[in-house]
Amino acid sequence: MTSASNDSEAADWAIRRENGPLSEPEQRAFETWLAGDERRAGALLRADAALAFLDRGRALAGLGFNDAPHVSGHVPDSEPEFGDGIERAHWLSRRKLVGGGMAALVAVGIAGFLALPRTERIVTQLGEIKRTPLADGSVATVNTASRITVAMSKNMRNVSLDDGEAWFEVAHDRTRPFVVRAGDVSIRAVGTAFSVRRTDGGVDILVTEGVVEAWRDDQSTTPSRIAQGERAFVADAKGRDVNIAQNAVVVRTDSEIDRTLAWRNGDLALNGETLDYAVEELNRYNRRKIIVGDRELGRSPIVGYFKVNEPDNFAHSVASLFNARAQFSQEGIRIDTNGK
Amino acid sequence: MRQDRAELVAWVAGNVVPHESAVRDKLRSVGVPEYEIDDIMQDAYLRISHLDSVAHIRNGRGYLFTVARSAMLLRVRRERIVRIDSLSDYDELTLADDDPGPERHAAARIDLERVHRMIASLPSPCREIFEMRRIEGVPQREIAARMGVSEHIVEKLSARGLRLILKAIAGGNREAASPAKQRIERKLRDVGFE
Repeated sequence: MTSASNDSEAADWAIRRENGPLSEPEQRAFETWLAGDERRAGALLRADAALAFLDRGRALAGLGFNDAPHVSGHVPDSEPEFGDGIERAHWLSRRKLVGGGMAALVAVGIAGFLALPRTERIVTQLGEIKRTPLADGSVATVNTASRITVAMSKNMRNVSLDDGEAWFEVAHDRTRPFVVRAGDVSIRAVGTAFSVRRTDGGVDILVTEGVVEAWRDDQSTTPSRIAQGERAFVADAKGRDVNIAQNAVVVRTDSEIDRTLAWRNGDLALNGETLDYAVEELNRYNRRKIIVGDRELGRSPIVGYFKVNEPDNFAHSVASLFNARAQFSQEGIRIDTNGK
Repeated sequence: MRQDRAELVAWVAGNVVPHESAVRDKLRSVGVPEYEIDDIMQDAYLRISHLDSVAHIRNGRGYLFTVARSAMLLRVRRERIVRIDSLSDYDELTLADDDPGPERHAAARIDLERVHRMIASLPSPCREIFEMRRIEGVPQREIAARMGVSEHIVEKLSARGLRLILKAIAGGNREAASPAKQRIERKLRDVGFE
């Protein structure tokens, strides 16, 4: 089950599937093969794409290279995302879509339009965790009940974290810095990975790869540098003494970071945090909220991994762990100590 | 909005496949062993295969580099091969894309020349089969008839040709890692790899 054998078998399947529908036994054999190693789906995509790549030779040859490659579904859209607006306009006018002088007007209009930054909005529902590529090749993993707005142009890659939390894997592009704004805090990266979370009172930044710089609008000091394995909290400017130390930078080990970002896999990873903390986190993901009736119980430390979208299971576990009582209803879940 | 598989395959063919050898070269240059590179690339394609939609990704090359880096770092961390002690070590694992890739105009021509080169370098009779199938669009049955062999044979030869094409897509640029980056290679070896 090596990657080499996956590639080799994928080639066989790609050819066979291309030649026509599989017979029943063949289809079953194919599905069995796919199920045998999760990476085979990747090998198959590669093999299929290799064949399609070869076929492009036919499509491209038909074009003659004088025109922009914009003809069939097979021809790739490898343009930069802000449009060589001018070149597209030339192509359009050469085709004389609108004859004569109108073509020039239309062309300029389109060029102007294409030069604007493209905006993308990503919104998650309560409990939804969405992993999505961005136009520049970066990947945003957006946590529950969050909103981000992405605007990329020729010189900048701007993301606004309007609400919630996201983890960014930033595509390397030295010509364009990747800047995330969360309220009045900005975080700038080149090719790296970091998470940003908006909370009451400020912005939580955690860097998993590389280095970022963070600053608040009103600060006249130099930006803070946050490197891999480090975490910083930047407090809101509103209603606070502007002279407060700008960041609290704490160095963490890799395992703590993995736990803090376990939500990317749909997990809540606890290593001694209190029940109150755990419940507050879980409630971010679920309509049915958990309430802890007892203050002292709420301070109990918990260790373990839980699924963020399974509050009932969490409550059951906690009940047995602390010899407590959990009550379940349509509206929510309540945890109390026994005997109350 | 889910796209269908044909759209995904077409997008991968145009936006990912042409850049695969560049990503592999980069992985090689930071000292990742060959077999790990194959695994990382397969992980990357697997990630891509799960995408709901690719219509909005304008920079396929950038995305491939990001996904490959992610797969590489996952392995480094999971297998605890390298302790990333200093930023300079980290830089080597950044997998920066130093070359932004060919300009749009040049890309189409490069791809076309590459396709022709790949097919031309296939051994007979794979080459003839690929010329008929991929360039002229002749269906397999007709190819078998023209060559006077069974379809089964044509299929086997096609699969062999595709395997060779896949190797060509991976590229053959095997320059050695720079001295500084051989540190990582040595660490990998110390832990028992290769």
